Amino acid sequence: MEEFEKTLTRQQAAIEAERCLYCYDAPCQAKCPAHVPVPEFIQSIRSGNLHGARTVLQMSHPFIETCGRICPEEAFCQSVCTRSKIDAPLRIRELHRFVTDSTDPFDRMELPETTLGRVAIVGAGPAGLACARELRVRGFSCDVFEARQMGGVPSQEVSTHRYPREVDEREVRFLTSTFAVHVRTERVTDLKLLVAAYDAVFVATGLSSESDMNIEGTELVGVHHARELLRKMKSGEISGAGNRVGVIGGGNVAIEVASMLREEDPTRDVTVVYRRGIKELKAFKKEIEEATTLGVTYQFLAIPNKVVGNDHVEGLEVTQAHLCGEDESGRCRFEPLPGSSFIIPLDTVVVAIGQRIDESVFPGLARSESGLISVGENMQTSMPGAYAGGDVVHGAQTVVEAVRDGKKAAEQIAAFVAGGK
Amino acid sequence: MYREHDLSYDFLGIHLENPFILSAAPPTDELDMAIDGLKAGWAGVVLKTTSVESNPVNLKYPMMSSFGTAAHKLWGLGNIDLISQYHIDEICERVTTLKRMFPTKMIAASIMGSQKEDWQSLVWQLKKAGVDLVECSFSCPQGSMGEAPGRMLAQSVEATEKVARWVKEAARDTPVLIKITPQVTDIVEVARALKRAGVDGVTASNSVPALIGVDVETLEPRPSLFGEGAYSGMTGMAIKPLTLRTIAEIARNVDITVSGNGGAYSWSDAVELMAVGASNVQFCTLPMHHGFGTIRDLKSGLADYLDRKGCASPLDIVGKALKNIKGQEELVAPCSHSDIDLDKCIGCGNCFRACSDGAHRAILWDAEKRQPSVDAEKCPGCGQCMQVCPVNAIRMKEELDGKVHYFEFKGTR
Repeated sequence: MEEFEKTLTRQQAAIEAERCLYCYDAPCQAKCPAHVPVPEFIQSIRSGNLHGARTVLQMSHPFIETCGRICPEEAFCQSVCTRSKIDAPLRIRELHRFVTDSTDPFDRMELPETTLGRVAIVGAGPAGLACARELRVRGFSCDVFEARQMGGVPSQEVSTHRYPREVDEREVRFLTSTFAVHVRTERVTDLKLLVAAYDAVFVATGLSSESDMNIEGTELVGVHHARELLRKMKSGEISGAGNRVGVIGGGNVAIEVASMLREEDPTRDVTVVYRRGIKELKAFKKEIEEATTLGVTYQFLAIPNKVVGNDHVEGLEVTQAHLCGEDESGRCRFEPLPGSSFIIPLDTVVVAIGQRIDESVFPGLARSESGLISVGENMQTSMPGAYAGGDVVHGAQTVVEAVRDGKKAAEQIAAFVAGGK
Repeated sequence: MYREHDLSYDFLGIHLENPFILSAAPPTDELDMAIDGLKAGWAGVVLKTTSVESNPVNLKYPMMSSFGTAAHKLWGLGNIDLISQYHIDEICERVTTLKRMFPTKMIAASIMGSQKEDWQSLVWQLKKAGVDLVECSFSCPQGSMGEAPGRMLAQSVEATEKVARWVKEAARDTPVLIKITPQVTDIVEVARALKRAGVDGVTASNSVPALIGVDVETLEPRPSLFGEGAYSGMTGMAIKPLTLRTIAEIARNVDITVSGNGGAYSWSDAVELMAVGASNVQFCTLPMHHGFGTIRDLKSGLADYLDRKGCASPLDIVGKALKNIKGQEELVAPCSHSDIDLDKCIGCGNCFRACSDGAHRAILWDAEKRQPSVDAEKCPGCGQCMQVCPVNAIRMKEELDGKVHYFEFKGTR
């Protein structure tokens, strides 16, 4: 699949870089969860020093190839760009991507001996690998345990039109080889064993379960979980979805799976069924635009009642909703309109209403109210020596936020290990 | 449809429709180009410099180079051009043709020679062809056609005066302009010599001797001809401040007509050149960049300006800024400090950083509000902060004898 977005040309990047105001104590950098020194790398683009720009990015962020492509800039750096007070914000992410696409990974790392200790990282997604890299740079050796595929959610579940497989493979390969991260493909069941065997453990297993719909008919053939379907398609398998697909949900996963299903078969109808309206969609604007470009359609203000059919899905019965005010959290409320039910004829229903922690993961660790692993300020769990971060602590979040957790955890772990010796 | 502001006036006895002239350069080196320029609305042309047969013209290409940034590629333009390859006979024919086609436009020609006979013969032939004005290039930075190799004629006060006399002797009642270089120890001395020689005016000034750049990968200079290059004559926006100073310095000290040339890129640049003493303005880089059609904006911009200022003629602005130009030691010393308009401020912090690292550490920064403030005790009002402010939210507040005056940023259009 061809990428939607093209890399900026050298000229486009140079002209865009000239728009940067090089703000003092730049808001973009502060807003970036990984604190990428944005004005600094843009300064280097402007001077034609792309190698320097790459170094700046790489020093601050292990997943620069990934974030250059899929970071929702509208939520971070670009949302606070001072330039927007003059005309429009800088295209920061695209400049970032220009750098990574125009340069080779900077691999002349001078890494210290691994004398400070050994850390086990459970989960090789953005949080886990970010933590591993930070610790390795400080002089720790890290073993990364991964039961599935290296790279986590972006590698397995982000559609190739936004994040091509070769880019992701290059990034993960670079991280593991350059930072000599030892990978062990096994599922960790007993955290206590790891804590005993290593100086510290970082748990970043993500959210591996998907929420189910509490309605009739979800057992029918043709009902799928969204992320499972994404993983299948990303790994190159055929999704097995039919010609009339309804995706239930309004978040990024719903939009992502809808897009990817259209990509897989452009003749297939894919409709996102959402209880609220277009403005309430939780997905990032850019992803919605891309989905629309791919031909994804929407059924807004539709509350699913039941999946209808005998053995196979034949349709989704929904009731029309109307929006009425806001709840305490400021979220738009909706109510069903009595007598307005109708059936959307479908042969496939994809459930994308949320994700949650796998209950069987490390039952010994204290949980928060929402069932996620609970950590203190220093990211330590209820088990001394065991730290946690990423989605398993905060719920679904972005790659750059996972990176922030990984970096922060590395700092805390380093202090913990140093204190214990 | 609209009443047009009359921009015409007399310049050295020659009628000009407006103050904008195409200078002796590539845009006037072909007859059809000169025709197109005049048709577009330029008030006159100075045909590209010609010489006598004995001086060979060995052009080397590529001759053009430039420097700038991605968004502003052409801050400065460089050339290693020489004089026209056309013979004086051809130039004379063109003068006659153009004069016939455009009787109300100024048809001038530029010449360059070495011996007295060369200079005078060129002038006589042009006079015979009906030329309105003769311009003499004493200052082409390329080639070595002056007295000493590698040296421009106008860099010798003595030679300048001598040759200017020869030319004026031959030209008699035909106006003569001498095109000089800004690269001299004392421009006033040169202008005085020309005044003594009795020529009608100076064209101030020619392109500036420069090295446009060096490719850091290959270490080839720019332009590069098989890896080698030469110094260029630089023109374009980058040299306007040099031209302004040259013209002002002549106009403040010598009573001689000045034709402005070098770095004007818009009607307001032209107004600046005129305000410091130029009676008209010659253009080359602007039409070489954006074409002859730029004359329309030059004319309408100037007309609007004259209307706003209540000026009847472009001549009303000539030299009007000179009274304000003083020696640094003559300036009053106001009590001055930076004055930041927080309503305009966008909170980028450039003023704070510039003051902190490059001035007096007199701007404070509220990190929470992202807002600068001025420590008036510490701030002497140097003005660096207003140079870097991207939204012109800063001005200098100057106080003297209880009177307040604001000095605002006027660096960009």
